[in-house]
Amino acid sequence: MAERPEDLNLPNAVITRIIKEALPDGVNISKEARSAISRAASVFVLYATSCANNFAMKGKRKTLNASDVLSAMEEMEFQRFVTPLKEALEAYRREQKGKKEASEQKKKDKDKKTDSEEQDKSRDEDNDEDEDRLEEEEPNEEEEVDN
Amino acid sequence: MAAAAAGNGTPREEEGPSGEAAAPPPQAPTSVPGARLSRLPLARVKALVKADPDVTLAGQEAIFILARAAELFVETIAKDAYCCAQQGKRKTLQRRDLDNAIEAVDEFAFLEGTLD
Repeated sequence: MAERPEDLNLPNAVITRIIKEALPDGVNISKEARSAISRAASVFVLYATSCANNFAMKGKRKTLNASDVLSAMEEMEFQRFVTPLKEALEAYRREQKGKKEASEQKKKDKDKKTDSEEQDKSRDEDNDEDEDRLEEEEPNEEEEVDN
Repeated sequence: MAAAAAGNGTPREEEGPSGEAAAPPPQAPTSVPGARLSRLPLARVKALVKADPDVTLAGQEAIFILARAAELFVETIAKDAYCCAQQGKRKTLQRRDLDNAIEAVDEFAFLEGTLD
């Protein structure tokens, strides 16, 4: 089953939603016009990819990055997209950073939980040093039991 | 015959009348809380990018910006096409409005001949 680039369409529902939100209320769109816009969007992505790839190759890089795409937009005469795209990119980076911090925080909380369980055993003594001693003593107790 | 959706006379409809997709498209795992940032599924955009034989790899940020750019593009071309429909005092965007917009706007020149 050979996949041709023309067959790679973006989901119709999302395209329709974007169109409807861009236009005033009460305006409709025919099925032919909608599918033509969908295909146009795919062609746009392919063309932008090709342009961005040229910039990447100029920079002797094999991986397309965000600035390649932004340069491609200017090359394609879509300068008006550059500012909103930069803002979207910053928001995306903040979100990615937030996700990373959230997962790191979860890991920290997990470690904290393990520590607090050991603290509960030695609640009578509030001394930190004693807690350390207790941790060392536990394995010793096990050894005594084995004997 | 199947009930015609409001505004569409074609009996063959792939989606429901409200525009909601009957079959949800495959979504990339990144599209949950950040759905506001990009509505187009990044997996589909990535598939388009990979379709280019010259492209080796594309970073996640690049895919995201391409998706967002495609959304902006759809908004732009829809609005430009609507101007043509308005002139014809119509409230439904037709295929010919799109063709007129492509011919009229220089930036859309790359689309000529690709939509047939």
